[in-house]
Amino acid sequence: MNHLSFEQISECLMGGAAPEQAAAHARDCGACRAELERLETALQRFRSSVRQWSAAPEARQTTYRLARGNAAAAGLVSALLHAGVVGSLFVLGSLKPVQSLVKDQIVSLIAPDLSAFKPTPQKAQGGGGGGARELLDASKGRVPKIAPRQFTPPRVDPVEAHLLIEPTIVADLPLPAIQANNYGDPLSKLGMASNGIGSGGGIGNGKGGGVGSGNGPGFGPGSGGGFGGAAYRIGGGVSAPVPIYQPEPEYSEEARKAKWQGTVVLALVVDEMGRAVRIQVTKSLGLGLDQKAVEAVEKWRFKPGMKDGKPVPVIASIEVNFRLL
Amino acid sequence: METSLALEHAGRTSDANFEALLELHRPRVLRFILASVRNRETAENLTQDCLLRAYKARGRFRGEAAFATWLMSIAANVVRSHESRGRLKFWRRALRPVAGAAEERGPAADWFPGREMSPEEIALAKEQVAAVWRAAAHLPERQRTVFLLRFVEDMELLDISAVTGMKEGTVKTHLFRALKSVRSALGERQ
Repeated sequence: MNHLSFEQISECLMGGAAPEQAAAHARDCGACRAELERLETALQRFRSSVRQWSAAPEARQTTYRLARGNAAAAGLVSALLHAGVVGSLFVLGSLKPVQSLVKDQIVSLIAPDLSAFKPTPQKAQGGGGGGARELLDASKGRVPKIAPRQFTPPRVDPVEAHLLIEPTIVADLPLPAIQANNYGDPLSKLGMASNGIGSGGGIGNGKGGGVGSGNGPGFGPGSGGGFGGAAYRIGGGVSAPVPIYQPEPEYSEEARKAKWQGTVVLALVVDEMGRAVRIQVTKSLGLGLDQKAVEAVEKWRFKPGMKDGKPVPVIASIEVNFRLL
Repeated sequence: METSLALEHAGRTSDANFEALLELHRPRVLRFILASVRNRETAENLTQDCLLRAYKARGRFRGEAAFATWLMSIAANVVRSHESRGRLKFWRRALRPVAGAAEERGPAADWFPGREMSPEEIALAKEQVAAVWRAAAHLPERQRTVFLLRFVEDMELLDISAVTGMKEGTVKTHLFRALKSVRSALGERQ
């Protein structure tokens, strides 16, 4: 007898009214029974796993990917889309009504007024002066070179020395430049060579190592470093000096008796060495307290203000409090 | 059959009962739809859709057939209309779960409950399940519906014909063709 055909096996699997003959054969024939069982097992397993899946409480985490497809086709479609969008923009722009609509719209650009926020260039102030206590005014000559720090004040007469340091002044451009062989005050009259009637080295009738009538290592009237060379102000890359040694001011006897209290405000320059120089009283208290304040501050030592990593003279203002305990 | 009897007596007037009945049948509907669409989220959505349709049409349930049969026919319709909705095809393809191997084997293979089997047997069984799954996934819609109703839901041929609205002979033909595909997927007789 032949084995069961697939139709018959299917009949058995379907569970419909299987032909008696086929069922009988399946019972007898080992091969047919094996085949039937194989299919049945597979279907049984399929059923149980589907049931298991659907009974799972949570949808399992699935990652999604984009549609698989032809990269070239996708690129082409993308390019076409972009071209279409850009093209449509051009077409839109070439339309008359759109153009007329756009033409009337004027966008005025307003430059905001930033003047309040712009840095105001600080003019270097001050000046310099010098002299060697001679009888004549300083003679005419050229101005020495400019350097940020003065080591040697200029002199009209050449100096004999083994190791010469070129004299400099602390100044800012422009300086009156004249042609001369010797150093001197360019604003002065021609005459006999003289360092001037001032003091402290330099040329002129001022004080300090500069040139001119002022004080300090600069040029011209005023004090501080001449045309430039003035003490810097805090800010804009200049750090504030920090006091590192500040002895308390003494109380003057009169002020103590009068039970006088208050604040003295001093304006001063903290030089590169950290000393307080050019101390001026801007708010006086009287009864000798101003003098005491100046005396105390003269002893103070500062960590100098810095600019570009180098110590520079910085203008500072100090309040000295006098309080009776 | 008890549920449908209960429904015939009380459910037609009581919406709460009807809801309870739907909830009772929900796993079965979900199972069928899940096996049909092979995507958990879609299946859950469609199940909800199907139950909603059933709820809306509860007045039209005449109690001629068993409640399960009626509900399954709705589910079959839902699946069919989902399949024929062309605009979903792109997204279905686009959002197909990743992982080549798992996809090739079919997700159901991972759920094969093989606790008291040796690893080899489990692997073999999983292969079998995957083969059946693949074959079922590639079946035409009618064949697959019939196949799933018969071999996953264990429904009788008469019930299947009631669900699908086909004659019993037609059901048999579809089932036969489905079985043939599945058998070729499982490999010929050794």
